[in-house]
Parts: sequence; C-alpha cells; structure tokens
Amino acid sequence: MTSLNTLNHASHQSKNKSVHIQEYNKGAKETIVLIHGMFSNLSVYYFNIAPVLAQSFHVVLYDMKSHGMSDRCEYGYDLLSMTDDLRDLMDALRLKSVYLAGYSYGGLIAMKMAMRYPSRVKKLAVIEAPDPSDSETLSIIDIYSKEFLVDYINNYTDTTRMRVGKRQLDKNHRMYEYLFYQTSIKEDMHNERFFFSAEALDSIPQETLLIYGKSSNCLPSGRKLYHTVPRSKLILIEGDHNLPIQQPAETAGKLKDFFEGWQVKIKQINNRLWQALRL
Amino acid sequence: MDAITTQQPLSSEQIFNLLKTFITEVIGEEFVEDLDISRESSFTRDLEMDSIEIVSFSEKVKSHFGEHIDFTGWLSGMDLDQLINLKLDDIIKYIESCQSSK
Repeated sequence: MTSLNTLNHASHQSKNKSVHIQEYNKGAKETIVLIHGMFSNLSVYYFNIAPVLAQSFHVVLYDMKSHGMSDRCEYGYDLLSMTDDLRDLMDALRLKSVYLAGYSYGGLIAMKMAMRYPSRVKKLAVIEAPDPSDSETLSIIDIYSKEFLVDYINNYTDTTRMRVGKRQLDKNHRMYEYLFYQTSIKEDMHNERFFFSAEALDSIPQETLLIYGKSSNCLPSGRKLYHTVPRSKLILIEGDHNLPIQQPAETAGKLKDFFEGWQVKIKQINNRLWQALRL
Repeated sequence: MDAITTQQPLSSEQIFNLLKTFITEVIGEEFVEDLDISRESSFTRDLEMDSIEIVSFSEKVKSHFGEHIDFTGWLSGMDLDQLINLKLDDIIKYIESCQSSK
C-alpha cells in the first residue's frame, strides 16, 4: 500500500490508522462512495460494479477498519463511529457531497450518514440492509466457532462458490477471532438493534433506492424501509443476500441509472436524436 | 505515483516471473514455498487467493504496467466463475497482447 496520492489505490491515514481505498476515474465531476458489508471488504465492488459506475463517475471504495487491507481497530463499530470514519475520509479526499451506496451493514452506515449529514449525501442507495433487530447477522456472532466458520463462509459470505483452502480458512478465522474477541464489534452491533425503530428513518431527505434480492431473507427489511423512508423506491433482483456477487451487472446498472437520474437520460436521448437527424 | 513505465516489451518468461513476484508479495513468502506456481495455476483454486488478495495483485500489475494495459477493465468483463478459474497464463497472454498492440 502506498500514500494517498497514488494513481488508483491509496492508504489514507486517519487518526494514525491506515484506511485502504481504491479510486476510479478521478477526474469526473461527481463522486460515488461505496460501503461494503461487515466481515467483507471492498472487493465486493472492485471487479464488476465500480468499473461500470466509473464510466460516468469518480468512484471511491474503502475498507472499513479491521476489514480488507485497512488497519485493525479495537473499537468504534457502531453506526456513529462508522459514519465519523466516512466523514473523515470524505474530508481527507475533499469530497463535499457524494452519491452514497452501502451493502448490508454498509447500507445501515449509508442511511445513518444520510441522516447525520444530509448536505453531504446527494442520493442514497441501500443494498440488502438488514433490520438489525431480527437479523441473523447478529446471531452468528454468538454462536461463532471455527467449524461454524467453514459453513458460514460456504453459505453466506461473498466467497460463496469459492473453495475455501487452509490458508484462507486460517486467515478468515484470525479476522473473526480478532473482531469477535478483541474488539467492541459484538457490543457495538448489538447496540444498533433498534436502528429501524429508534432512528428517524422517515426523516431521510434524499431520494433513496432500495435494492433487494427476490429470495433474500432480508427482503422484509427492504419492504419495511420502503414504507418508512419517504422518497424511496424498491427494486427487486433475482438472488439472495449475496446480490452484488450474484448479479453484479444488474446491480451496477440499477445504481448507475439511479445516480445518473433522468436529466442524464434526457441528455442521452437528445444526443441520439441529434445524431439521427444528422444522418 | 508508483507507476513504472516499462520501455521494452517483456518476454513471456519475464512476465511470468514478475507475476510470481507479485503473488509472493501478496500472500507472503512462507506460503509460496508450499505452492508450485506454474502458468496453469489458478488464482483461487491452486493459489488459494481470496478476492481482496486478487485486488492487491491487480493493483501491483496496474502500477507496474501503468496505462499500457487496462487490467481492471479486462477483469471487469469477467463473471465470478471466470474470475475463479482465471489462470496465470490468461494474464500473461493478456499482457502480451497489450504489448504487441502498442
């Protein structure tokens, strides 16, 4: 990892902790920031989703603390701290206002950000965010074991369909051991269990896109958000909670259309009309 | 900037050795010792690299070859199964094709 001003990747120093980021299409006028989920990393967007969005936008991906290639941190996994981190990152990159998307727990971070800093979030996209009060995400923390991990990785994480080798298993095991037993993550996530009911989700001012898998066990959470968040629309895609991995092209397409908005669409139609008239 | 512009096109063997160096940097020498890295090695099955390690590897390829190759663009055209089955040889051939089309 190198310093912030490298071409495509950087490690941004925040409070003496290094944050791994990846940037695409730096010169573009508007920026999209993508937040990954808990126990995952920025690779969920890196290969197929970010390159599509980067056709029109500056795209920023980052690894949360203790995830991917970012430095470890013992505390601060609650939504307030996570949005502090995101705000600090935006400040460091001099991003005043961005289009924001988050997947799973990252979706909760995105919503919290939109509520805390409405002027810094232009539009909001939430992919497969679970209701923390009835989420299986939280219960897995309590029954964690190495045997459980094998099953969990094979079934629930974005490494689905990849055979898990010994080195990978050990690496994942170390990450879970660290997060579960040496950080405040359990308590911090547990304390967010009333997020859907306690927070003023009905005050989210931004235009909001909710993307959920048709067969996802988080779909009821999506419907709940759709009924609560005032300017939201809900789009369903074939797949389960692993939607960004299962349907990256469709997910990226929906995000791009949403962030570009109708103004861009009209401009594109106009251009095509002019071209047709010239022929 | 850590992009290094390579002036001379590299031979297939040189590219292979370079990629082996990148893999060693990403997963660590102690693990590489147990692996028999060949052109036919696949990233996930044989080398047991996970997605964030492939990100790290891609960045090394990109910063070495700079704008001569659109490595991320090339990868983005692949679906998950293609990524899983990606072999070292596929990347060597891709880099060679970029060098010859310069």
